Amino acid sequence: MNAVRSLGPLALFALAYAAVAMVITNSYYQLMLTLVLVWAVFGLSWNVLSGYTGLISFGHAAFFGIGAYTTVLGQVYFNLSPWITIPIAVALGALAGLIVGFPTFRLRGHYFALAMLAYPLALLYVFEWLGYQELTLPMRRDAPFTYMQFEDPRINTLIALVMLVATVIATRFIERSRFGMALLAIKQNEAAAEAAGIDTLRWKLRAITVSAAIAAMAGGFYTVVLLVVTPPSVFGMLVSAQALTVAMFGGVGTVWGPVLGSVILIPISEILHAELGARIPGIQGVVFGLAIIAVILLAPEGIYWRVRDLLRKRSLAKSGAGMPSPLRGGPSLSEAEIRGGDGASGTAGVPSGPTPSPSPQGGGELRRGDDVILSVQGVSKSFGGLKAVQNVSFDVLRGEILGIIGPNGAGKTTLFNLLNGFLRPDAGRVLLDGTEMVGRKPHELCRAGVGRTFQVMRPFLRMSVADNVVVGAYVHAETDEEARRRADEAIATVGLTDVADRLGGELTTKQLRLMELARALAGRPRLLLLDETLAGLGHSEVGDVLAVIRKLARSGITIVIIEHTMGAMVQLVDRFVVLDHGMVLVEGVPKTVTKDRRVIEAYLGKKWSAHVDA
Amino acid sequence: MADLTRRTLIGSTAIALAAPSIVRAQSPTEVKVGLIVPLSGLYARPASVMRMGAEIGIDDVNAAGGIKALGGAKLKLVLIDCGDTVEKAKNAAQRMVAQETDLVAATGAYLSSFTLAVTEVTERAQLPVLTLSYSDLLTDRGFKYIFQTAATASSQSEQGLPELMKLAETASGKRPKTVAIVMDNTATSVATAKALKEKLFKQLGLELVVDEVWTPPLADATPLIQKVRAARPDLLFAMPNAVSDAKLLVEKMNEFGLGQGRIPTISFSITIAEPDVLQSVSPQVLQGVMTVVANWGFKGHERLIAEVKRRYNEPWATQNVISTYGDIWLMAAALEQAGKPDKEAVAQALRTMDGGPAKYYPGGQLKFDEKGRRVGAGVTIVQWQNGVPVTVFPKEIAVAEPFWPKR
Repeated sequence: MNAVRSLGPLALFALAYAAVAMVITNSYYQLMLTLVLVWAVFGLSWNVLSGYTGLISFGHAAFFGIGAYTTVLGQVYFNLSPWITIPIAVALGALAGLIVGFPTFRLRGHYFALAMLAYPLALLYVFEWLGYQELTLPMRRDAPFTYMQFEDPRINTLIALVMLVATVIATRFIERSRFGMALLAIKQNEAAAEAAGIDTLRWKLRAITVSAAIAAMAGGFYTVVLLVVTPPSVFGMLVSAQALTVAMFGGVGTVWGPVLGSVILIPISEILHAELGARIPGIQGVVFGLAIIAVILLAPEGIYWRVRDLLRKRSLAKSGAGMPSPLRGGPSLSEAEIRGGDGASGTAGVPSGPTPSPSPQGGGELRRGDDVILSVQGVSKSFGGLKAVQNVSFDVLRGEILGIIGPNGAGKTTLFNLLNGFLRPDAGRVLLDGTEMVGRKPHELCRAGVGRTFQVMRPFLRMSVADNVVVGAYVHAETDEEARRRADEAIATVGLTDVADRLGGELTTKQLRLMELARALAGRPRLLLLDETLAGLGHSEVGDVLAVIRKLARSGITIVIIEHTMGAMVQLVDRFVVLDHGMVLVEGVPKTVTKDRRVIEAYLGKKWSAHVDA
Repeated sequence: MADLTRRTLIGSTAIALAAPSIVRAQSPTEVKVGLIVPLSGLYARPASVMRMGAEIGIDDVNAAGGIKALGGAKLKLVLIDCGDTVEKAKNAAQRMVAQETDLVAATGAYLSSFTLAVTEVTERAQLPVLTLSYSDLLTDRGFKYIFQTAATASSQSEQGLPELMKLAETASGKRPKTVAIVMDNTATSVATAKALKEKLFKQLGLELVVDEVWTPPLADATPLIQKVRAARPDLLFAMPNAVSDAKLLVEKMNEFGLGQGRIPTISFSITIAEPDVLQSVSPQVLQGVMTVVANWGFKGHERLIAEVKRRYNEPWATQNVISTYGDIWLMAAALEQAGKPDKEAVAQALRTMDGGPAKYYPGGQLKFDEKGRRVGAGVTIVQWQNGVPVTVFPKEIAVAEPFWPKR
């Protein structure tokens, strides 16, 4: 239903555009109408990869150019019609995307962007070397339809419009499915995504394949419009830049961004060129550049997001009623937010679970069974000369709550990173239900039933709570509906149902902690690794979170929790493993551990341990 | 032959059909012609030189009484900036045909890639376009509204090289046997080198001893020139297309003692003879360097060259000035023949024109073949002599004697 509703604006846009195209007889304006769409499609292709994953590509001209050359060479040498060569271009583009993506995704951030820059430049020289400096599509007046060389330029606009609509629908589909969720998760926090069970490399490869295929389609049709292909005109820096410019100007990470950017920028640049080019040659570039700078300053995330924020603010002020976002499918306002005023008061979402009460401790009733779920054997990890974790061994028993404590710098988080696959131990074994897990990637461990949260919280700030959590649910869910259901359950379990529609960035610390818990929970883990889940919480808040953790333990999930403060932990855990300087200091039930001399020494220094002894 | 007859027939029929409208047409006071060139961006400099030629041409035609067949109507120049990309060129051409509907002809667009894009549009809009671009492809597409005044790239080297060989033989007394090529990988250089290597060297019995290619910009010419010095060829073809590359090459040759014609150096583009070169290279270093180009200021252009210097402070007239100036006169002639300010009539006039020897293009006639190539289009060979590149070939139009340094 949501998906159908979201196509409304698209249908309106397409109809309006087609209507305008039909009444315009001036061939120059008609050409502009066509080119706007071509660049919008190209911008959208860039958006599929860079907009959603955040991996900026400076090299989309590579795919655009492959499409363009496929079309022109197909007709020049094999007399093939663009109707055939454009689909071939799409296939070749997809293949190129895969070939480019596989090695390049080893790089991140700026390095990825720079590496991408190299591909079109290399191809540019390859095509020059091949002797394809200037090619034209042979004129076929005998068969205008077969060779897409219509007398009436309006048909070009209509074909481009069909391409745009198809691309928008494809993008919307990606955006709403687990594909898009995975990409958004990767963009906002690749490590968290990986820990939530997302095979980031695979999704990124899929994204670049789709993206490159669309770019090649745009390039193929561009050739039909321009009729002339030269390496700089399809592989040049300016071509790659065009995709970035229209997408960033209009708004990144939304289907409407590149469309808006193209609809505004392409005509403006052309009008400036037409009006000023012959009078003060070159001034058009200056004016255009200044205009872009001004807009980026006023709307750094692009026009779309700026306008949306303004509209949202206004509709909030006016009616107090939530405006369901028709475009992004993301956050719509919940009643709770309206009641809650500024949203930061944190009144919502207090778990309705049992009030924290001191649970039987220290050799009392234990929930654990006797079998070992996770066995850590002689695990070590060094960073250069720093031995972060040295020969650590312990077992986690099914159903228990195990606390790993130790002073700051004791190697607790490193240990977690070794357990869930972010780091590979230098030595030792990690057995999950008896299966060796060393060398597995985080998403594989997640699939095997190991969930985790982070000390430094890693929420997806621009996504709603529900979307944040659903990212973690895909790992075992067959369908998107099932994932949604599991996410809702997890949200209910941690008591965040009231704020499920808010953006991650609007939550309080406690809510974020609970949301992270829910995200880990949505993947139905058997073993949950909680990294300093209580950090930064006030006294009463700690109680709330502890209650949730107990609830999880009761439901049968084994929990390993890291803390450097003892207080709250003593009430929670069945057993402690105390780390100091990367080594296991003591292992045992809270009562004995808290009295252990070595533990007191590690935490408070020798003076205090002497004091205890006395 | 059959073709010619049919062509003439169609032509005369067209004129016959058009005759009544000539009588009816009111004499316009103004006839618009277009100059579509890259006034902005990377190629703004040569385009501005083309504009100089066009402006002087318009003034001269009008001063001589305008278009007499149209009651002395004046020519008016419409400037269109085709920018520095193929897409901008296409857009500009579309704008030109959509909004300047009363244009009867145009000339442009400097770079052959741009001319290709522009003429894809003008062909469909049936607007005749003259061009000084070389690319063979321009007139290999079967188009009817493009008229190429310059010799095509392949024909330039075919014409130029044998003449150079003769020149070398008469001057030095022996026929060159070995040749070196150092070139960038731009479209023009690649096309020229292809023709040289695949065909001409064999025909002329030349042996290629050095073959080096670089991607502009050239960072250091030392390794290139070292190879040339080691091989000691009888001829060196140096083909830079950027002034900075040209500068590096000639200076390095001079440094290695190969300059000033010690190894006769020939280029195949206008770059090495542009006034800009003098801003960074001293005239002594350039002395003797030759280039084969489609057009240059030659004998009979003295008044025009003086005018370019007076009005625009250009030290000499390159192909861009001369050809564009000539294009305006050619359009005027076509209008006189057409007898009405109509693009189709002008196109037809250009197709059927037989205007005798060309005054502003080297060699051949003011006449176009069925492809739209100027019949007999020749080349000029230009040589740097005392700080000025002067036309030294063909003899009939040369303004100076070529010198061939003896080793």
